[in-house]
Amino acid sequence: MQVKFEFVIYDESLDKFEQDDVVYLLELNDEQTQTYNLLKDRDLYLYNWFKESEFFTTWIKEKVYPHSIGKKIAISVINDILFLRFYFFKVTSGDTHYEYFKKLFNIFHEANWQDREEVGEQILERLVVERQELIIELKENITKNSDSQLNESDSETSK
Amino acid sequence: MDYKYINKMLAEMDKDLSSKGLSRRDAMKLAGISGASLIMGGASSAEASTEAAPAISAAKGKIVIVGGGLAGMSTAARLTLNLANPDITVIEPQALSVSYQPGQTLVAAGIWDEKDIAYKRDDFVPSGVKIIKDKVIGFDPNHNSVTTASGETVSYDYLIVAAGLQLDFERIKGLEAAGRAYSSGDNSKLLKVLGDSGVCSIYTAEGSTKTWEQMQKYVAQAKSGKKTQFVFTDPDTPVKCGGAPKKIVYLTNSRLKEAGARKNAELTYYPNGGLMFGIPEFHDAILEQFKREDIKWHYRHNLVEVELENKIAVFDSKWQEKGKWDPMMRDFEVIAKHEKLRVPYDFLHITPPQIAPREIGDSDIGSAAGWVPVNKETLQHIKFPNIFAIGDIAQVPMGKTGGSVRKQYKVLVDNLIAKMEGKKMPSKYAGYTVCPLITSIGTVMLAEFDWTVKPTPSFPLDPLVERWVFWLMKVYALKPMTMYGMLSGRA
Repeated sequence: MQVKFEFVIYDESLDKFEQDDVVYLLELNDEQTQTYNLLKDRDLYLYNWFKESEFFTTWIKEKVYPHSIGKKIAISVINDILFLRFYFFKVTSGDTHYEYFKKLFNIFHEANWQDREEVGEQILERLVVERQELIIELKENITKNSDSQLNESDSETSK
Repeated sequence: MDYKYINKMLAEMDKDLSSKGLSRRDAMKLAGISGASLIMGGASSAEASTEAAPAISAAKGKIVIVGGGLAGMSTAARLTLNLANPDITVIEPQALSVSYQPGQTLVAAGIWDEKDIAYKRDDFVPSGVKIIKDKVIGFDPNHNSVTTASGETVSYDYLIVAAGLQLDFERIKGLEAAGRAYSSGDNSKLLKVLGDSGVCSIYTAEGSTKTWEQMQKYVAQAKSGKKTQFVFTDPDTPVKCGGAPKKIVYLTNSRLKEAGARKNAELTYYPNGGLMFGIPEFHDAILEQFKREDIKWHYRHNLVEVELENKIAVFDSKWQEKGKWDPMMRDFEVIAKHEKLRVPYDFLHITPPQIAPREIGDSDIGSAAGWVPVNKETLQHIKFPNIFAIGDIAQVPMGKTGGSVRKQYKVLVDNLIAKMEGKKMPSKYAGYTVCPLITSIGTVMLAEFDWTVKPTPSFPLDPLVERWVFWLMKVYALKPMTMYGMLSGRA
């Protein structure tokens, strides 16, 4: 199965994300496809599964952003599942995003007095933390054996 | 509980029932509830049984409670029942701090008098609790002390903040001289500014009496044949009892109908929000009641100014428009718009903006919004583990009613004692609150709900139906349950 990915690049100095317009395709094996199908309706579980999977991070480092150790990225689209709202939410964003984040962050919206804008500010506050959890930092591979040798596939080594 | 008082209230209820050819037992049967649960305001038998034998803890520590209203005094009472050696000080400046606020709507409709809701703090101080008749003006949570207006520094091991909220009339242009008010106490500045202008508010005890005076005046005007505009507001802040701004609409409507003056009156409700009620089922029910009673409404209107001389209310009217395409979000933006709207009135009922007292908002224990930030389930301060908050001042969703306090104070006492014993806090508040929504003189829709945003009825009855038996409960049972049940720390 092929999965379509889009990414955003995180600029740490500006604390901002920028969309990479290229669409990348990743081929999943049967076992990975099974996991994908299990998680595809639970967006953040799916995100975290990819984020924590070695095959995925290796693919990014080798095929998507080669020679980019230290770069910080995040997934903005997996097939039709959009994560863009995590990086580009504004208080003027559409109602569907408000509903999504109110549920995700357990924000109680007292509709009889609280303005949409006030809820939007609360969402932005929570997103500061949430975004950091979504960021994937491209690091050099380190083997888990006792010698702690550097993975030979990396072009750079630490000293 | 004071059984003499309860018996007196039940006798009053019996008189009311017999005038309609019913016994109390008949009424309870109609409601499908027992007399005991009516008095307990829906307490389950399991809950009632736990009240009988509270566990006594040997935990020690000096507890200071800032605020001796319903929340503070009920908490003090329950602590005395649960601690073997209680060392509790309540700091409260108002002599009538425990007055029965839920009765203010009934005073405003001429059903009760102000004296029916006036209760003295000193009559409800639990045995062994020290009272300081002063106002706390400073909090030093890093040194576990508070300072009073007279300069006294009071230290504590554990602090409970139950300071209530303030009514921010001065925020409304034209009413600046009214200042900020509390529900009880000296509100002469406010009354002086409002005078005989047709502007009133049930949110203070004296203001309720004034509301009844003004209501009679303008009901009489409508009865005389003159077209009369009744305008009601609901602000852009949290309010004590979200149903109260609507209760006064319904009660005015009821008095107009009773006087045969309804056809000459136009009643319009201007809420800041976009809903009648935060719980969809109750929102729908209220909307139908408004349509049935020909009461008009305009959402997203916040009162910002009153021209007392010209009898004009100025609202900030808000709406939203579809904005431009946002390519990053792949969606259209939503743009907020607003404009000033001038509305003439004869009778204007103001539900004032409600805020935390300055001394709390400005201190280390207050949040940016002024309220005391607590874990909404345990009621423990998010920064200072030996501080708890309860009632109107606590930053808890939907928590500003006596019904919420009735659940909160038990949670707080359980958790505070566990904290004093060095144990894990066992109790959680789930957001329960109750609003007996008076829909006419003689009917109440009992809105009970919690953070599930669903009705959570205590009685085996459709909660969306307006019932006379809940009117009886509101008028006869809830006050004794509050004054002698909660304030003794038991109900």
